[in-house]
Amino acid sequence: MTDTAPVIRVEGLTKNFGRVRALDGLDLTVRRGEVHGFLGPNGSGKSTTIRVLLGLIKATSGRVELFSGDPWRDAPRLHRRLAYVAGDVALWPGLTGGQCLDVLGSTHGAFDERRRADLVEQFQLNPTTRVRDYSKGNRQKVALVAALAADAELLVLDEPTSGLDPLMEQTFQRCVRDRRETGVTVLLSSHIMGEVEALADQVTIIRRGRTVTSGTLSDMRRHTRTVVRAVTMADPGVLTDIEGLADHQRERLAELTDSRFTIDTAHLDTAIGRLHEAGIHTLTVTPPSLAALFLRSYGETPGPDESVGEESLAETGR
Amino acid sequence: MSALHLAPDDRPRSLETMLRIVARIQRRSALTWVLVLGASLVGTAAGVAALYDTTAKIHTYAAAVTTGSTLVAINGKVEGIDSLGGVIQDEFGFMVAFLMPLLGISLVARATRREEECGRLELLLGGRIARHDPTVAALLVTTATIVSTAGLFAAGLALFGVPLAGSVLYALSVGGLAFVFAGLAALLAQLTLHSRGVYTWSLIILAASYALRGVGDVTNTWVTWLSPLGWAEKAAPFGDQRWWTLVIPLAAGLALGAAASWLAGRRDLGSALVRGGTGPDRASARLRSPIGFAVWIHRPAILGWLAGGVLLTGMMGALSHQFLGAMAGNPALAQAIGIGNGPPMDGLVAATQLYLAVIAAGYLVQAVGTLRREEGDGRLETRLSGVLSRNRWLASHAVVLLGGLMTIVLISSLVLGLATALSAGDMAEFGPALLSGLAYLPAELVLAGVALAVYGMRPRLFGIVWAGYAAMTFIAFLGPGLNFPQWALDLSPTTQVGNPPMGAVQSGALIALSALAGVLVAVGFAAFRRRGVPQN
Ligand SMILES: Nc1ncnc2c1ncn2[C@@H]1O[C@H](COP(=O)(O)OP(=O)(O)O)[C@@H](O)[C@H]1O
Ligand SMILES: [Mg+2]
Repeated sequence: MTDTAPVIRVEGLTKNFGRVRALDGLDLTVRRGEVHGFLGPNGSGKSTTIRVLLGLIKATSGRVELFSGDPWRDAPRLHRRLAYVAGDVALWPGLTGGQCLDVLGSTHGAFDERRRADLVEQFQLNPTTRVRDYSKGNRQKVALVAALAADAELLVLDEPTSGLDPLMEQTFQRCVRDRRETGVTVLLSSHIMGEVEALADQVTIIRRGRTVTSGTLSDMRRHTRTVVRAVTMADPGVLTDIEGLADHQRERLAELTDSRFTIDTAHLDTAIGRLHEAGIHTLTVTPPSLAALFLRSYGETPGPDESVGEESLAETGR
Repeated sequence: MSALHLAPDDRPRSLETMLRIVARIQRRSALTWVLVLGASLVGTAAGVAALYDTTAKIHTYAAAVTTGSTLVAINGKVEGIDSLGGVIQDEFGFMVAFLMPLLGISLVARATRREEECGRLELLLGGRIARHDPTVAALLVTTATIVSTAGLFAAGLALFGVPLAGSVLYALSVGGLAFVFAGLAALLAQLTLHSRGVYTWSLIILAASYALRGVGDVTNTWVTWLSPLGWAEKAAPFGDQRWWTLVIPLAAGLALGAAASWLAGRRDLGSALVRGGTGPDRASARLRSPIGFAVWIHRPAILGWLAGGVLLTGMMGALSHQFLGAMAGNPALAQAIGIGNGPPMDGLVAATQLYLAVIAAGYLVQAVGTLRREEGDGRLETRLSGVLSRNRWLASHAVVLLGGLMTIVLISSLVLGLATALSAGDMAEFGPALLSGLAYLPAELVLAGVALAVYGMRPRLFGIVWAGYAAMTFIAFLGPGLNFPQWALDLSPTTQVGNPPMGAVQSGALIALSALAGVLVAVGFAAFRRRGVPQN
């Protein structure tokens, strides 16, 4: 494809629900072929943005383009090229999983039979079970399989792994990578840093309906701090002479020394080197969490209408 | 949701929390039930009191409705019908027999199985609410609603001069009826997987109770005692006043409720004793098409309302011969049930068709309500995120709705025509029965139009449509018999049709109704295209 226009272009998007301002000047650009992480705490406006993008709700103001078209006017035609998994997956309780896949497939336009069969196997779905007998995770899997099997250029996934167990999450990540290999663009909304980190090339972080920052993950990391906790055989001594290191605490345990500090990502190597010299017993390196990104970069705590879950506060790298 | 953080052993607090939650979920529907039922009873009482203001008139009424057994089968055998209270009990008998049980069923089904189905119960039980508390809380809130309704009933009757003791006993007996069905629904909610199953089975049992009560009353046997409707009737509030009969529904309701909460405390969340098996692993081509899928969604409702229509028309048709005999012997009978003068057979068909119109309109309102549920549960969002446009989605449902309406009206009218022909021994009523059924279509479509317009503009206000439907039902069932003023009768689109085949079909009005329905449907489509999805 020689088409270089972004798949999604949103500029200055606002959306009011009565007196509630859900989106307040949001920007988002997704280019062809990328996996774009769309991060924000609960209630920050991710689902609302996606609904505007799909032409389900009308923007109050701002510019919204999907495949260079207007989603509000031209929804069904544009939808032919995408597949969507809603945040709260709701299916028809009386249908079986397999029937649901076909019904969803018919709304997505065309889908690939071979891929459908592969995915059903990989996600360990029993297609003859009725949806009302499925667990939440299994319902989510039905929606994911339907979207991943669709012959779409764009996948729009709204917090797609919230009901999956860790094993299935791995399967999900593998399948998304497979789809990207074939040139599919993915918009992946999430409030969990680790998930986006594992998949995304580009990231847009929003908060209270506004884009806070956008770019590659490593770009963003450069300005944030990593939390390190190390138990060493010998005492590594006072580490505060290392550039970019702060919040240092040291505690002697019988034979060992427990050190904790935070450090600029750029100087992590030096610090780990010093710990290595002291003989590492255990080491935990926690990359900056979504919460930390907010807290450090903008010097405020999350607003009362937002919540950053424990899982995102304590996100560990993989 | 801070109220959910309870200490693990804080049992009374846990029930209290659940009660507060259920009361919140149910607040609106409970209030609607109390007000609609209360208003219906007060309206009936006012109408009866105004119309039968002398003992002589009451006596004529009593003599009329006890002639033959048709009306006994429909409204029940009222002991002490020779009194104001008795007349009211008789007039209100048919409505109360369905609405009171429905109150109990719907409030309980909503707070138990429906919540469990949506997964909201999981959230609460995760928050340390004991397993059987939702059932207990649902029953308590429903009981409170029933008691309030009964209170309004007793006060309403007393207001129009019915003796207090009789008023109270009447209110308690019909309250007991609702209580039994609330307990039954709570038990069924444990046994079936789906709130639809709760409704289906409770309504089947209600229909059986109705039939048993009818058989018992007509044959004058103990069979009446097998039916919860019979228990209420045997309290005889305006006759012998058997207060002790109140113990039966109370004990039955308590036993059913206790069994339900016992089961709720023992079974796994989301499980059921009666569960559906597996099904096909692929969807048929029909299910993949928008219209075929709409048929799948609406089929249960179409079949259910069709069964109601056929039951009604079959019964009325089959009883028509006997009914004619009764009217020949007592001209006041026709007056009492609002048929007036004219060929008695036409009158019976006309009354039946009016009831059928109420059934058909109820189907339409419920079916449009299903669309709202598709949206509220989040399935519409998924459906519209594909290649299906809003217009095509709504249009395919509208086509199926119309097809369902035609099915219900045509088959029920056919059954009416055939049953009257068999009962009366000639085919004279066959054509009129069929044609008068068709004549009501525009009036029914006006209700569908109102429902679609509200759905298109503000799905949240869908309750208005049900209120309108309740008003229409009230006018259709009781308006003619109680001599409502013409302007009140005219509020219902069914009045405009002209009461065929007894009266002449008002073709001008039919055209106007059709046009009105068309405009309303167009408004619904236009508004739906312009609004955000999902809204609930
Ligand atoms: N239909 C609606 N009516 C009113 N407020 C809404 C509606 N939809 C979303 N909101 C509000 O908009 C904000 C953003 O919500 P949402 O887009 O769902 O956030 P996220 O998906 O990031 O968790 C929230 O404050 C939410 O309460
Ligand atoms: Mg969301």
